[in-house]
Amino acid sequence: MPRWGMVIDLDRCTGCAACEVACKSENNIATVAPEQAALGRTISWMRVMAEVEGEFPNNTLRFAPRPCMHCDNPPCVKVCPVEATYISPEGIVGQIYPRCIGCRYCANACPYTVKYFNWYAPTWPESERAHLNPDVSVRPKGVIEKCTFCHHRLQKAREEARAEGRELRESDYQPACAEACPTRAIVFGDLDNPRHRVSELRHDPRAMRLMEDLGTEPKVYYLTPRT
Amino acid sequence: MPPLAHEPGHLGRRRFILTLGGGLAGLALAESCDVRWPADEAAGPGWAPGLEERLNSTCLVCPSRCGIRGRAVDGRLVGIGGNQLHPLSRGGICPRGAAAVQTLYHPERLRTPLLRVGARGAGRWRSLTPNGALTFLADRLQQLRAAGRPEALAVLAGYCAGSMDAVWRQFLRAFGSPNYVADAYPDGTDAIMAAMHGIPQRPSYDLERAGLVLSFGAPLFEAWWSPLQAYVAFGRPGEERERHPRFIQVDTRFSRTAARAHEWVAVRPRTHAILALGIAYVLIKEERIDADFLARHVAGFDDWLDDRGTLQPGYRSLVLRHYRTEEVSAATGVPIERIVGLAKMVADRGPAVAVCGADVTQAPDGLPAGMAVHSLNVLTGNINRPGGVLFRDEPPLAALPPAALDAMTRRGLARSPVALPAPLGAPNARRLAEEIAATQASPVEVLLLYYANPLASSSDGATWTAALSRVPLVVSFSPFLDETTSQADLVIPDLLPAERWQDGPAPASYPYPVWGIARPLVTSPGGGRSTGDLILALAARLGGTVGASLPYVDFEALLKARARGLYDARRGMPFGDEFETEHQQQMQERGWWLASAPDFEAFWTALVERGGWVDPFYDHTDPTRLARTAGDRIELIPQQLRRQADGAEARDPYRFRTDDDRTADAFPLRLNPYRMSTLASGTVGLAPWLAERPTTFPEVHWIPWVEVHPMTARELGLGDGAMVWVVSIRGRYLAQMKHFAGAARDVVNAPYGLRHPDGTLANPLQLLDGATDPLTDLASWCTTFVRLERA
Repeated sequence: MPRWGMVIDLDRCTGCAACEVACKSENNIATVAPEQAALGRTISWMRVMAEVEGEFPNNTLRFAPRPCMHCDNPPCVKVCPVEATYISPEGIVGQIYPRCIGCRYCANACPYTVKYFNWYAPTWPESERAHLNPDVSVRPKGVIEKCTFCHHRLQKAREEARAEGRELRESDYQPACAEACPTRAIVFGDLDNPRHRVSELRHDPRAMRLMEDLGTEPKVYYLTPRT
Repeated sequence: MPPLAHEPGHLGRRRFILTLGGGLAGLALAESCDVRWPADEAAGPGWAPGLEERLNSTCLVCPSRCGIRGRAVDGRLVGIGGNQLHPLSRGGICPRGAAAVQTLYHPERLRTPLLRVGARGAGRWRSLTPNGALTFLADRLQQLRAAGRPEALAVLAGYCAGSMDAVWRQFLRAFGSPNYVADAYPDGTDAIMAAMHGIPQRPSYDLERAGLVLSFGAPLFEAWWSPLQAYVAFGRPGEERERHPRFIQVDTRFSRTAARAHEWVAVRPRTHAILALGIAYVLIKEERIDADFLARHVAGFDDWLDDRGTLQPGYRSLVLRHYRTEEVSAATGVPIERIVGLAKMVADRGPAVAVCGADVTQAPDGLPAGMAVHSLNVLTGNINRPGGVLFRDEPPLAALPPAALDAMTRRGLARSPVALPAPLGAPNARRLAEEIAATQASPVEVLLLYYANPLASSSDGATWTAALSRVPLVVSFSPFLDETTSQADLVIPDLLPAERWQDGPAPASYPYPVWGIARPLVTSPGGGRSTGDLILALAARLGGTVGASLPYVDFEALLKARARGLYDARRGMPFGDEFETEHQQQMQERGWWLASAPDFEAFWTALVERGGWVDPFYDHTDPTRLARTAGDRIELIPQQLRRQADGAEARDPYRFRTDDDRTADAFPLRLNPYRMSTLASGTVGLAPWLAERPTTFPEVHWIPWVEVHPMTARELGLGDGAMVWVVSIRGRYLAQMKHFAGAARDVVNAPYGLRHPDGTLANPLQLLDGATDPLTDLASWCTTFVRLERA
């Protein structure tokens, strides 16, 4: 059984945010109003974190695209009282919106702050509803949402592979962020499949995971910058 | 999406939660109740699975013209990804490209032609049918010809490389007007190449095969000609190649390019060229220049005798005299050892390619400054070599038929254009506006605006306001009511890129000719007609010379006719995967060519399905790609410039001023406008996905901002996030002030092209001091001083 995961090469990331917008487009992520954005309520399942250090002209910067870590030992799943947050047998941490009661325990438990609460019902101008992706449901007010590794794509890819009588290939299932990345900094696949690049890259000497000491066993790896 | 149907007997969500009661006991209860969400619950009457279609096309939102792949479901565009086959972007996409679906369905988009009924700018319009608009415009143009004044028609076009540019030129030529102005992101690099190489075209940069990319203010990862080209060169090689290019960014601010380059060299404003010549000084002193290349292909390196027998200093003498390392360090703020280190890297890590950005050329002495940067490429002989500066062909498209001319057309074309070109430039929008505004009776009676919004995107807003007021009929083809379109008399909105046929050749920065095809991914729900189709229909309606010169039923037919030139050229191929492209390249290198289709119809089908055409072969041995000057040599001291300048400056083009005229203490901070990757070009507001996070740093949402060093802000008593007026002697605008440690202490970094949530443009360009480079007419972006006032 595959174990889906991601490797992000920070040497290649240019912070362009194509992954962010591709994710928003794929997953029907609603935009929040300017005043809500100022309160930190922007929803961004994939978010390029940036930290500028030093003083002009000796500044340095660190970029890190941050999706859900899809932990093997996910704290969010443990605290959910209604099993709205779950981990699938293939390691994808998902969210069942109709079950979610909006208690936000999971958002507080997540050390990576990748769970977002819908403070308002998502709205789009009528004309903009045309571009909503029919594969992904929009979320109502009062529920938590999060990165799903675009698992609707997995379902589709699996059906197509089955219909064609073949095994699932690495390129069949790629989340929107990995697909969009112009420098191919984001690599996705089966961590346990030696034919998938992620399997090789996660054993790279540069590979690390965020807050490994917490024992969450994230399935998103980062290749630290060489310079 | 179909509404949810709740049938009796099924649990709704609310009842479902109430039933649970909470916790695992609830879950067990739910399971025992066999709660299910039947598949047909979501299916209302008439529901059917969506029909999905994926089509390759070309993105037209910026000059990069990347390959895209649209996903449409039931005629709605629901996503835009990258086209894996496109040789430039290779499946990647940028945030603007991905967000184009939001622009497509923008609620403020115009769907029907509008005719002004109130005063100009009052916002009162009457809808016209597409045919009504066509008739209205055709009648007015007929009147011009009836009055014997075809030259009173003018077109101002924004960036429209490819066949739209050719169509506009053909239309005007056949109509009898010399007044076509294409304001296509001028950056002065074509003038530099014309002066030094005698080749008046923008250079290409072979970034992928370079060992070192030394960018002088070029926003490679932001708003360059093709950020995707730079991304691919930066990110792709990795472990597949032994070495990949090292990127060094010489920049006045800590931009995203500077942050992600392998090194950032911070320089004082207006000193990029001085640093370049400081590097040249070390290369010459240490004899790390390509002496053989200089001897065979370059003029002006050594001193020479002019026509009067006077000894003139050559490039070497000028550099050694004026650009000693200590002096360069003092002027630029770059430590001596860093300058020496940069020179060493240029020499050792070749091929090193120096890229000149608009930060360098948009200055009062922009042209010689750009020449100074490019001189590094000449010194290292990195011209027309892999990993260097190249001059590539355009795709060999079939030309439009020769324009038919009658007596009136000839008379009109013989008239002097309203906007004369700059000494080393093309006719530009500023000159057009000045000439129109200068006289009460405008020389232009009908002005067509095609993706041009000069009231917002130029620094000559006031001149343009005056000019527009004098033109009797202003027609805009913008799909949005932008600043200039609001002042128009007639608006015939174009379709958006995902709905129309167009072509998108790769920008000059890419070293191979690429012809991308943009095709409709969905049908426009409101009908309408693309501007390309409209101009062809207009030509047919006008008939005569115009109709005979554009004999195409629609733009798709025109593109197909032009593609025949590619088919007949017996070179290149429809887009293919990396193996196919490499194969074609290797065959062409050996003088062979692989035919990709048995006949033209199959060729055209392949072009459309795959997204376009590329010729992956570049002939590095062609001497005409080095220099086409009178002596067939690259001129480090261009004779053309000597003739233009006349006087002291003619003898020494490589001297630069760095002391700007500050307006006393009233304006203590230098304004540093910059373009960003999510820029909406001053025509269209940012898509909401981009507006809520226009950049990855600093942390900003929705509100236009300026960046100020925290110490400077504290001295002014302004906290992070304060709203401020940015004020210069020319005007002011409102922005949020962000503390940013990557800003110099005496500078205000101001992104251009952003709008407040109410649509108001926050435009730093309206503050510019009006200085220009007299040789290219480019506005200076780096000599304006401002102050900040709490709003």
